[in-house]
Amino acid sequence: MASYRNGGLFNPAYHDSETLEIDRSKSLHANPYARAERPDEPYSTGHSSGGDGLAGRGPLGGWHGESRRGGESFPMDIASTPSWQRDIHPSRSPPDSPYDRSPPVHLPSAMSGNMTMRWRGMTMRRMSMFPNGDPANEAFAEDAIRNELQNEEQNLIKELIALSTRDQIRAIRDLPMSFDEKKHIRSQVLAVKSKRSRHFTCFAECSENVSLSFRRFGYSVSSARQTLQLWQGIMKEIGSKFGTSVVIYFVFLKWLLMFNIFSFLVNFGFITLPLLVHDTSPKIPPNVSFSGLEILTGAGYFHYTVMYYGGYSNATLHGLVEYDMQLAYFFTISAYMVLCGIALIFNMGSLFMKNYVLADPTSNGAWQLLCSWDFSITNERAVRQRKNNLRVQLKESLSEKAQRERLTLSQQLRHFGVHLGSWLLSTGLAVGCGASIFYLCKYEQQATAAADWSLLQDAETLLVPFVVSLMNLVVPLFYSLFNKFEHYSSQRRQIYALVVRNVLLKMFILAVLCYHWMNVVAKFSCWESIVGQALYRLVIVDFLFLMLGSFFGEFLSNLIGTRLLPRLGVPEFDVARNVLELIYAQTLAWIGIYFSPLLPAIQILKFFILFYLKKVSLIQNCQPPRRSGRAAQMQTIFIALLFFPFFVGALSMVAYTAWSLSPSEHCGPFQGLSSTFSVVGVWMEDLEKIPGSQWAVWIYLNVIRSEIFYYFISLIIVVIIYIFWQVTQGRKQLIRLLKQRIVNDGKDKSFLLDKLQNLQKSHPDRKSQQKNQKRHSKQRPDDLSPTARSNSNAMVQALLARQRLEQEEQTSSTVPSDISSPGALTQAMLARQRAEDQEAGAHRPLSRALAVPAQAWQRAGGQERDEYFSPGFYESPVGASSMVTRRAEDPPSSASSVMMQVMQARQRAEDEERPQRAPAAPQNPAPAGSSALIQAMLARQQAQNEYDDGY
Amino acid sequence: MGTTASQLGKDLLSEYQELTFLTKQEILLAYKRFSELLSKDEKYVLNERVPMDRILTLPELKSNPFRKRICYVLSTSDSTNGSLTFEDFLDLLTAFSDSATMEIKSHYAFCIFDFDDDGTLDCGDLEKLVNCLTGETDETKLTAEEMRQLISNILEESDIDKDGTVNLSEFQHVISRSPDFVRVHVY
Repeated sequence: MASYRNGGLFNPAYHDSETLEIDRSKSLHANPYARAERPDEPYSTGHSSGGDGLAGRGPLGGWHGESRRGGESFPMDIASTPSWQRDIHPSRSPPDSPYDRSPPVHLPSAMSGNMTMRWRGMTMRRMSMFPNGDPANEAFAEDAIRNELQNEEQNLIKELIALSTRDQIRAIRDLPMSFDEKKHIRSQVLAVKSKRSRHFTCFAECSENVSLSFRRFGYSVSSARQTLQLWQGIMKEIGSKFGTSVVIYFVFLKWLLMFNIFSFLVNFGFITLPLLVHDTSPKIPPNVSFSGLEILTGAGYFHYTVMYYGGYSNATLHGLVEYDMQLAYFFTISAYMVLCGIALIFNMGSLFMKNYVLADPTSNGAWQLLCSWDFSITNERAVRQRKNNLRVQLKESLSEKAQRERLTLSQQLRHFGVHLGSWLLSTGLAVGCGASIFYLCKYEQQATAAADWSLLQDAETLLVPFVVSLMNLVVPLFYSLFNKFEHYSSQRRQIYALVVRNVLLKMFILAVLCYHWMNVVAKFSCWESIVGQALYRLVIVDFLFLMLGSFFGEFLSNLIGTRLLPRLGVPEFDVARNVLELIYAQTLAWIGIYFSPLLPAIQILKFFILFYLKKVSLIQNCQPPRRSGRAAQMQTIFIALLFFPFFVGALSMVAYTAWSLSPSEHCGPFQGLSSTFSVVGVWMEDLEKIPGSQWAVWIYLNVIRSEIFYYFISLIIVVIIYIFWQVTQGRKQLIRLLKQRIVNDGKDKSFLLDKLQNLQKSHPDRKSQQKNQKRHSKQRPDDLSPTARSNSNAMVQALLARQRLEQEEQTSSTVPSDISSPGALTQAMLARQRAEDQEAGAHRPLSRALAVPAQAWQRAGGQERDEYFSPGFYESPVGASSMVTRRAEDPPSSASSVMMQVMQARQRAEDEERPQRAPAAPQNPAPAGSSALIQAMLARQQAQNEYDDGY
Repeated sequence: MGTTASQLGKDLLSEYQELTFLTKQEILLAYKRFSELLSKDEKYVLNERVPMDRILTLPELKSNPFRKRICYVLSTSDSTNGSLTFEDFLDLLTAFSDSATMEIKSHYAFCIFDFDDDGTLDCGDLEKLVNCLTGETDETKLTAEEMRQLISNILEESDIDKDGTVNLSEFQHVISRSPDFVRVHVY
């Protein structure tokens, strides 16, 4: 019993058992079966004849009730020490030693999660218990709860003290409590700490001071970083007016800008700067002058500068150290591409983990309500608009759900036809765009081959970029038009369809251009510079079109919408289309990185201007998007798109160029080589002559150039992927099982609560409390479930353990043990019944009286069996029974369960309610309890009172 | 700025920094905003309670449909009138700041949505929530049938243990897919 009490203090659900605990200590001498059975057995209405027959039979000996309870206290003990706490503190000392320093054997993060979990449970309970319910009834329970809270607080403080200062601060900060409570905890922790450190020398004080000043320094650094963050205020402003989904566009833009700043620094620092430092004289022929058109075309004057591949030499620069331009160029570009890839993969991976692993397509509606409110919106108009949008959305989704069920076959066929048609049309449009660009490039090639370079010729080179950008601007508009005619069952599908079509279009266009450059342009002299110029033109014209697009697309349609055709309304800011434009622009920069290393500089300028342009255009012209998707998921999709196909495409294009195409012979760093990659071979040949660098050559020959190495690497990767895939499958199965278990536990809980309610309903003077009771019975499971969920199988095991114990007590028992979780409840009850039967048989005089509860148990078991047993629930007996034996032999290590306690409460309630029903007017009307369990407990107390009166 | 810094004191400031997710500037700014809410004669800012009406005049909360709930949940006042002390106010800011953990955000969001304070979101809470989100006037309200269907949809999707209510962990399960979940920008 004592061990139970101690253990119970640690139990998150302790207050449930606490009430019982008080009650139990008082009632050890009481006789719960003192009264006769009432005929109207409340919880077995169909089987009450047995109860009838036995009504009025002799009272049970008090000792028997005790012995039974003694048997119970054992599993109760099992339940009372939660397993998680055991895991964390293997050597926990009693709670009244505040200076206990059990070394933490866990990660701080796990710890803080654990603590917050507990505190969450506590605070929720406190919230749910104290504010309502009348104080008189709770008076006795409240003390216990307060005790428990204090104890939990003590434990928390002890755990906190064991942490390092940094973790401690973080852990306190992460507690979901009010400021006052946090302050209280902190002051207590500090008090204990200072008490302890008083024994040390001034060294401890010094180190404390140093760490304090370091911490303060850290705070000021973090606040300085926050003020330095680019465009923080603008983002907040946009967020407050348009919501998070629009902010995503700007976050993405900023992210790309940072990417480009990084790549500019890398390229400029490792390729351009050494060349400029070494050789300041420009290599521009005297007859070329700056005319101004170059800014648009990138040709002419720029052709001879370091802007393009052709401006770099293959010389080895002799300065302070020897600097091989060939190697620098090759390694800078390849390192940049690899770094970009890694950054993208990591970003994408973490976002996927956060947003998609837990995603469950069915829970869209709940999400819509529970988390759709964007607390960042503070603008009055935006709030009103958002409310409207949300209402429309909710109504639509409701009617859609109803509609989908009513759709006839012909309607479905028609929808399918429309989808097919629009997909064909949009793909055809994309292919047509690609083909027309292909012929346009061919035509342009012939035209430039025929004539000399002149200003007009320069201007003509703008034709292709112009057409490409025009297509990029106009065709998506057609796509959105198609989208209006299609009926998508969900809004997300609609957005995905639109995004996929746009991506296809951009891919076709870029693929055709790349094909043209690789196969046609690659035969010219100094072709890399020509490709670089073409990309430069594309980037610049794309920028112009973006500006025009936001002017015409947003400003003009705003004018039309407000002045001419109010029906159209103010345009929405289309996040998906705008982000795709950004992705396209970034792809151009990636492809161009090899041909024009300074292209990121242009890109930086472009994005910087675009940010302000879009911001102004958004605030002046647009309204928040009517249908806001899940912002975080959209962000994931955008980054995934940026990676695949766009980054992968650009990477393969650059890799193909470096591996397979022969660089031009008269300009650029790789002149005279058969391919760009062979620069590594040349380097290795040089290295061979230097002693001490044989290992590098060996690696080159045996790792980089050997097929077997790649073969093995890919084999290993495939094996690892397979293993992870299997693990994932296993986890999925586990999740399914756990979900099933939660549902079963929920059923158990509601069943038990129904029982309790029925008991009270059947009792005449409880009528007045019905309402109260109902309310609490509703809240009850929720108080329990955070812990009940984590320990849900603990309940089953505890029950099985009990069953096994009772089986061992009487060998004659033949209880089948082949059960899984839902059946366990029943089995345990049957086992108990049998045990009681046996005991009753041993004690002859009591046998008839005992038959009552025994049959009641049986009936309860039967009911539950009906409810829960389905063919799938029978499982192999081996695992279950072996578990049981282990549990039975090692009671303290068994896991706790709140359910377990509910079970016991129910048993007791049933035991006690039955005798108590007989008296007509109980002297001690039980006040409304704060929970069903308290009710049960009160009922029991009443039974005792009546029993005492009977004497 | 200088005067407010001296009023707050270095130790207090560092304590606030330790206990909230706010930086020094943010705390000072919050202090400034908070002392502006007090009337002239209430000099000693830290112990003073600002009644809910005055808190709600902050432009950041003025149009939020949950403004009253936010005050009630964060108020430590005994009479549950939604009045806030400076520390409650800091609590409010830290709960809605970008750097607060999901745990804290979901905890407070759950409390805010739990209109009857019984520790679980039941049908009544959900109905009030929907009304808050869509507007409470008669023409904007959903019909009773729509409401019933909507709530049953929500429960079907998020009530994992099928007990007819959404509890904290179920709630956290739902919002765990939405990292951009609760934010309010007071700056």
